[in-house]
Amino acid sequence: MPLSTVPRFHAVTWLAWALAAVVIVQLASSPLYVTLVLAASALVAGAHRISSTGAFRLLVGAGIVMALIRVALTALTTHAVGTVLFTLPEATLPRLLGGFTVGGTIEKEVVLQSLAEGYAIVALLGVFGAFNSVVSHHELLGSAPRAFHEAGLVVTIAAAFVPSTVTSWQGAREADRARTGGIVRRRGRLVRTVVPVLETGMERSLRLADSMDSRGFARHPPGPADTASAWGALLALMSLAGSFVALVGRRSTLAAVLATTGAVLLVASVVLASRASPRRRYRPRALTGEDLLIMATSALALTLVAIAAAGGEGSLSWSASPLRSPDLAPLPAVGILLLAVPALLPTRPVPDEESEARTTADNARTAQPVAS
Amino acid sequence: MSAVVTFAGVAFAYADQDPALVDIDLTVAAGDVLLVVGPSGSGKSTLLRAVNGLVPHATGGHFRGSVTVAGRSTRDHRPRDLADSVGFVHQDPEAQFVVDEVEHDIAFALENLGMEPAAMRRRVEEVLDALGIAHLRHRSPTTLSGGERQRAAVAGALAAAPDVLVLDEPTSELDPQGADDVLAAVTRLNADLGTTILLAEHRLERAAPMADLAVGIDRGRLRGPEAVPALLADYEGAPPVTHLGHLLGWIPPPLTVRDARRLARDTVLPEPPDRAEVPTPGDVLVGARGVRVRLGHHPALRGVDLEVGRGEVVAMLGRNGSGKTTLLRALAGLLEIDGGHVDTLARVAYLPQDPNALLFAPTVRAELEHTLHLLARRDPEAVTTWLDRLGLTDLADRHPRSLSAGQRQRVAIGAVAVGGADVLLLDEPTRGIDPPSAGALEQAVADHAAGGGAVVLATHDVELAARCATRAVVLGDGDVVASGAARDVLAGSLFAPQVLRVLPPYLTVAEVAGALGR
Amino acid sequence: MTALPLPRARPAGPPAALFYLLLVAVGLAAFLYPFWIPAETAFAEAHAADAPFVAAGVGLLAVLAIALEVRRGTTTGATIAVLAVLSAMAGVLRLVDLPGGGSGIFFLIVLAGAAYGPRFGLLLGLGAMSTSALLTGGMGPWLPFQMLALAWMGAGAGFVGHVTRRLPVSAEVVALAAYGWVWGFVYGAIMNIWFWPYLAGQGALAWEPGLGFHGTLERYWRFYAVTSLAWDAAAALTNAILILLTGRVALRTFRRFEARLAGPEDFGSARR
Repeated sequence: MPLSTVPRFHAVTWLAWALAAVVIVQLASSPLYVTLVLAASALVAGAHRISSTGAFRLLVGAGIVMALIRVALTALTTHAVGTVLFTLPEATLPRLLGGFTVGGTIEKEVVLQSLAEGYAIVALLGVFGAFNSVVSHHELLGSAPRAFHEAGLVVTIAAAFVPSTVTSWQGAREADRARTGGIVRRRGRLVRTVVPVLETGMERSLRLADSMDSRGFARHPPGPADTASAWGALLALMSLAGSFVALVGRRSTLAAVLATTGAVLLVASVVLASRASPRRRYRPRALTGEDLLIMATSALALTLVAIAAAGGEGSLSWSASPLRSPDLAPLPAVGILLLAVPALLPTRPVPDEESEARTTADNARTAQPVAS
Repeated sequence: MSAVVTFAGVAFAYADQDPALVDIDLTVAAGDVLLVVGPSGSGKSTLLRAVNGLVPHATGGHFRGSVTVAGRSTRDHRPRDLADSVGFVHQDPEAQFVVDEVEHDIAFALENLGMEPAAMRRRVEEVLDALGIAHLRHRSPTTLSGGERQRAAVAGALAAAPDVLVLDEPTSELDPQGADDVLAAVTRLNADLGTTILLAEHRLERAAPMADLAVGIDRGRLRGPEAVPALLADYEGAPPVTHLGHLLGWIPPPLTVRDARRLARDTVLPEPPDRAEVPTPGDVLVGARGVRVRLGHHPALRGVDLEVGRGEVVAMLGRNGSGKTTLLRALAGLLEIDGGHVDTLARVAYLPQDPNALLFAPTVRAELEHTLHLLARRDPEAVTTWLDRLGLTDLADRHPRSLSAGQRQRVAIGAVAVGGADVLLLDEPTRGIDPPSAGALEQAVADHAAGGGAVVLATHDVELAARCATRAVVLGDGDVVASGAARDVLAGSLFAPQVLRVLPPYLTVAEVAGALGR
Repeated sequence: MTALPLPRARPAGPPAALFYLLLVAVGLAAFLYPFWIPAETAFAEAHAADAPFVAAGVGLLAVLAIALEVRRGTTTGATIAVLAVLSAMAGVLRLVDLPGGGSGIFFLIVLAGAAYGPRFGLLLGLGAMSTSALLTGGMGPWLPFQMLALAWMGAGAGFVGHVTRRLPVSAEVVALAAYGWVWGFVYGAIMNIWFWPYLAGQGALAWEPGLGFHGTLERYWRFYAVTSLAWDAAAALTNAILILLTGRVALRTFRRFEARLAGPEDFGSARR
């Protein structure tokens, strides 16, 4: 099936889905549940990915690497009491590097435990991978609250400048060779290629700035709402800092309160700044019924798992000692299956018939001869 | 008619530099198309940027006098405040876009103005139609051609329905087709919407006929506004037909080929002197035989033969994508060839389309010296010779990046040629450069060929080819479509220079002057 | 005719310095939680594996707070444009495989930060990493950490630049190369800290909350030495070499454009 370049659902929808999935993996870290989450992510990514750059595979791969490192390191350096699988030769590292012993007994419980935990990491990164492959990052930036417009603009423009940067680089390399008739002098070649690219880039950026200024960028001076939002953000940071201090002082509840206050203040500042911004978004993408369906099922999934966790459901977490086989409880399992709902919704045909009709009409109009 | 832009006693100098604008008084009436003409570094850009306040708000410097646009002074208003009165487009198609989709980029100005979404939507549709780019609305600007990009940039500037549109050399980096599209679109805007246009251009063949009035600017001083033919009468960069008209005493001197033909009906010229023998080329310095090149999946060259001999100046013509750059790069040995072979019997140097890719040294002189350094040669005379040939002696200690586009192009040519290469391969050397630089370039090319070298010029500039080439080659879709003496090839077709279309068989104004004994 | 200078846009509200100070404090606290978080807290008890995500969340909040600061009227189109173009270059450089490992993203941020000041360096660090994430199409949970780490590197480079500005260029380049070398290790150490708590448990390399600063540090050093030291040494060396080779010309280029970034204008009378 050809890939559409337009994301199937709203970026915020996907964000909600991903958040729910991430928290579920934290709550239900037993291998069986983790497998369900991973499967759901894979299905969703397969059904709705918008580009062929395998972000899903990439991140899952990174997760596998991280997991294996974890297994190796833990197995080699942890020697608790357990069933020995086999024994490796020991080596004690010099004091400078830590002075501990590597190798020795490799124990079954240790390996299994770290495998299970590593597996949870893989599923987590699978969720991130699925998110990356189904969402358009530009749309994500565009959906961000208005308060972040300037910050998002930096990334948007940067992404747009990448092709011309690469071309500039290739051009500089070729010009360097061409200057001397094909001979390449290695000495100083880096400088001869870096300087033109930097200079051209800086000049271009200033011309772009002229263009932006001329189109009214940053037109409105900051008003009282902006000032208020700035103070709010500052207080939020202070609150967060305070919560850390409380943690050190072993006052968990105070820390939690301060942290929440900080988060709330930040959200409030964002809302305030967004409201104050006079910018209006052009053709924002509206949330459809399907978007709401996905958000609802994701929220429901999370709720079900959370209820099970609050109820002390034992199967949610698994431990290698004492060793037992993992089981699956119906409530959380159903919850996790709900995460696969997006994969069940049909993908849009490519291209959209409506936009095709519009394009044909446009072509007919512009085909009229230009008066010379 | 009301004045929409007024300059009153304006003087401006960039920080720590000589004055860029001196005593400017100018009034532009609503609905006019004003052409701004002048050599590079004369203050054209500064003048245009002063209209919406980029000078001095964005550039810094010392400013005196006042500029008023639609009743508002740039003293009290920043460029962002004037966005709904003045739209601005500059010459770099790579640096005008903020968002990766044309439609959304056009809406950028409207978003900044806080317009209602419904009004935004309507406005964007209107602008897309006005520029004829509705079929490009969902495309990413990086996938568009230069002409399409500049039209999209004009659309972005036009979105806020400004009274004035300021265009600073919008076509200088475009090929002729793209330039035509952009200027035609701008003309249509003025005709349909009555937008006041201020346009700075070097390509006067296309721009001059569309203007109502023109001003000339030289070293910061303004001349005019006057009627266009009058102003261009003694301007070096005027279209060839204007120079022709001046030479033959036609009043008023024509701006277009069409006008010139009418005036030429009654003109009788002496018989053209016997065609000077095209000098037989010396020994072959570089030759391509059956060269085939594939770029990706696309066959860029399908078996091309070309020989360049000593003393020749070969003009390579052809549309964008016909393989000119590829052939030059193949001759320079910068490409892998998939078939045929290239014989290089002399030293070859290649100048890429963008001279900025080459310039990195802190002074012009250092730039040239560096090439010699790279080739491990010691030849201080060569540096002085080339600085002289290209008219760069006064600029020898300036930073290349502080120079105008035309001056940079000359420095780049110097940097490439100073290495003593016999064959110079120049890719679009006159793109975006002003008449004095073009003149210096032609002189340098002629000198080099006369001195025993050879030059191959890939260019869209037919006038350049008419003036300096001995031979011409036309490429089409990777094949050589025509090849022969410059005169014969240029006479054939779409590539005819202006004078040829008016007074065949003369190719250039210089030839006509020669025939008349002047 | 003399003219009144237009009022410079001074942002009302809290001074920027306070913001950045808190950003550093909060970010550091978030990053370094393995070292100071006591065992009895809710985090440490059963959900050691959660900790990196909470830290990432905190990091994200910090980044958002900075994003809010950016818009406070002190940012011109020029700053945004230059940040964007340099972020693009840095982002592309990260994808280039350099000999010996390490990536080109560091040297550009250090040099630009040194030329344009701590605030610019900080924003460039954030922008470069975001662009890079966009290019690779992979935003992982480690992204806020990467962004903040690069942001600090850029900001620090700005402070170094303030000091070394008065020195001759060669001395400046050497100082910045040393800075870049050190940060090769620091960056690796910071990113490793993010990964480290996954190893929570009993082992000699593992994180155990409540060990106290010394104990934690010892364990972390072992972890770092085994996993990342060699790699980071190569990266640090690459940084230093790139800065030594390109520092002079890059600083010269950046400083030539400094005036444009400084912002507004002077409507004084023209000379003569």
